[in-house]
This record gives sequence, structure tokens and C-alpha cells, in this order.
Amino acid sequence: MVMEIVMVNKISGENAVSQEDGQKLFDLIRPVLGSDQAVELDFTGVKIFASPFFNAAVGQLVKDFKPDSLNRLLKVQNLSPLGQDVLKRVIENAKLYFSSSENYRTTQAEVIAKLTHEN
Amino acid sequence: VIVRIPTINDDLADFYLLFDMWAQFNHEDSEVELDFSRCGFLRQNAVAFLGGLIRLKESRGGNVTINPATINGTVAQNLAKSGFGAVFGLRNVLNPGHSIPFREDKIADSIGISNYLKEGWLGRGWLHITEPLKNAIVGTVWEVYANAIEHGASNIGIFSCGQHYPRMKSLKLTIVDFGVGVPANVRRFFGDQALPAERTLEWAFRAGTTTKPSGIGRGLGLDILKQFIRVNKGQLEVFSHNAYAFISSTKESYVSHKAFFEGTLVNISLECDENHYCLASELPQGPLF
Repeated sequence: MVMEIVMVNKISGENAVSQEDGQKLFDLIRPVLGSDQAVELDFTGVKIFASPFFNAAVGQLVKDFKPDSLNRLLKVQNLSPLGQDVLKRVIENAKLYFSSSENYRTTQAEVIAKLTHEN
Repeated sequence: VIVRIPTINDDLADFYLLFDMWAQFNHEDSEVELDFSRCGFLRQNAVAFLGGLIRLKESRGGNVTINPATINGTVAQNLAKSGFGAVFGLRNVLNPGHSIPFREDKIADSIGISNYLKEGWLGRGWLHITEPLKNAIVGTVWEVYANAIEHGASNIGIFSCGQHYPRMKSLKLTIVDFGVGVPANVRRFFGDQALPAERTLEWAFRAGTTTKPSGIGRGLGLDILKQFIRVNKGQLEVFSHNAYAFISSTKESYVSHKAFFEGTLVNISLECDENHYCLASELPQGPLF
């Protein structure tokens, strides 16, 4: 299989933090993944990570692709343990959110009701 | 009208003074003169907040002047070192010294804000932390800025200022926006105006929470900062509406208090001790032999 390699630092520099940069990466990889072609994100030279970047770049993919497809098509290289933590958190949250946004609201309404009741 | 600026420390009562000033700025005339004759000194929280108040008034067509004759030597030096004086037309400019300069951001300037946090706040040798931990904290605090810009709906942006206090061995940073506040966003999301402000703040602190209509789930993302603050014996305070969040090594509480401020203010205090800090993932894994 042909793999497209994307050097993330060409888009974000050393700070993979902003939603705008994340969106640029998403716009770049979404069509490639859509044609069932694999993408490798290489994070060499990227030092700082924040969820707005990953939310836009990767979180949005959860809406359009099944986890199995993403596991097969999207590879990550040279991502620091810290970046991996942020990415994992974003993916978990996106899966929760996109399972159904109305469901999410209902579940969270229960969470906040519990907080209010406990205090 | 003349607004008298008192001496402002950064204890809880001092934040009430700031919120009282905000209320005055909300109601008074369009012409405001700041009088510092009763001000002995200002901390970083007051510098960031005052800068925001001036911009808030200007954004509503008002005008704020500072009466330089009322400013004593300590305050003049403080305003000059923090860069506040230069931004608001006071003449003297000094080397920042122990100040993390006053900064205002209308957009999420990823390079500028990251450099400010990494070099200007954490990179001055006042705290012994490894590069990966420094990067982790910068990424976390960046999210405070990104959240404020995205959710705050404020057209004047975000104001920050910090200070190193060598005698107290403390490093502080205040970030404030004059937007709609966390409780307003959370109440609108749930369609429930009766939700207590302090519970909305507690909810927003949890991982994976979001109020964005088309959103992608996320919380305030402060986990790494919270963990570091617990180990470092620092503290994190958030004020929004009448809610107050306090996080330290021994306590995490969300309460309501008597003062009201419509925006969101985050105050971070770190201990400048002799310890060297790193991320758990940097420690050697497993037995050596």
C-alpha cells in the first residue's frame, strides 16, 4: 500500500496547539484517507501539543471514519509521550462526543445533576 | 469620574477589590480617570485586570486616562517593568526584571503565546523543570487562552501578566478575559439557567466536557497543570461569575462567593523551590538490574 507521509512541523512548527493548524492538517489528510490511502503523520520537531490542534486534525475524523479504518489508515511516528497522551485524550473524547451529540448532552446533564446533588 | 485604585495584593479579598472596580467601570461615565494616590503596590493580577478594564471601557466608546502625578515610585516602577506603562502611554520604560510582561491577545497567536509562556514565564531560571515538562505546561496553559478566545466571546481579547517574587519564592501568572464567563456557556448548553455557577465550573474542569454546539469533546484540559501544581505545592484559582475554583496540593474546591465578575480569571502560583521537576514518563522505567 502506498503511504503518504506528512511532516506535521511543516504545518505547525514546533507548536502543534492551534485549531487553525489542526484544521490545515485535517484538510490535507481527509481526502487522502477518503480514497482509502494510508497516511503517516511524522511529528519530528514538534514539541508542544494541545487539544485544539488534535481536535481539529484528528478528532473530526472520528465523525467520518470507523475506528478500524483509522487504525488501518492513519499512522503516527515520532510523537513524544506527552503528545501521545494529548492525542489519546482527544480521540477518547471525540468517540464519546460523536457517538451521539444528543446522547452526550443527556449523559453530561446527569453528570452535572450529580455534582449539584452531591454538594 | 475618578476611579481610585487601592493597593492590590492577590489574596481572595484583593480579587473582590478588582471585581468591585469592574462593577464601577460598568456603571460609571464614559470618561474615567484612574487615580493611584491610595495605591501602595499592585500585583500581576491587578496589572492584567486593569489593562483589560481600560480596553473594555474603550471598546464601549469610553476613554480612560491615567493621572501620572498620583502614581508613587513603587507603582511607577511596577508599571514600567511590566510594560503596562508603555502600552498605556506612561513614559518610563524599564527592563522587566522579575516581571513577566503585560500582554494582550485578541487572537489565538500560537507562536507568540507559546513563546511568552515558555521563555517569558517558565524559561527564566526561576523554576527547575525539564524541557518536556515545560512543554507540557505550556501546552496546558495554551488551552486556557484558546478556551477564552473560543468560548469567551469577548471582542477585546485576553490579558495576562506575571511576576516572580524572589523573597516569597513564588512565580505567578494571571490570565483574564472579559467575556461571558464559564457559567453562561454551560447554562446555555444545558438550557438550564438555574445551574449553580460553582457546579458549572466544576463540570468544565472535568476531562471530556464541551459546550461547543458543533464541538469536539474536550474539557479545560488542565490535568497536567493540576498534577504539577499538586506536586509543586502551587495553587490554581479560577474566578467566573460568582464561582471560585481553588486547587492546591491538599485541596480542590468549587464554591460560590459574594463577588461577581462576568468574565473568567485564572491565577496560577508556582513554588520556586530547589526541587527538580520532570514528567513521570521521563523517569527510568522498571528495574535497572
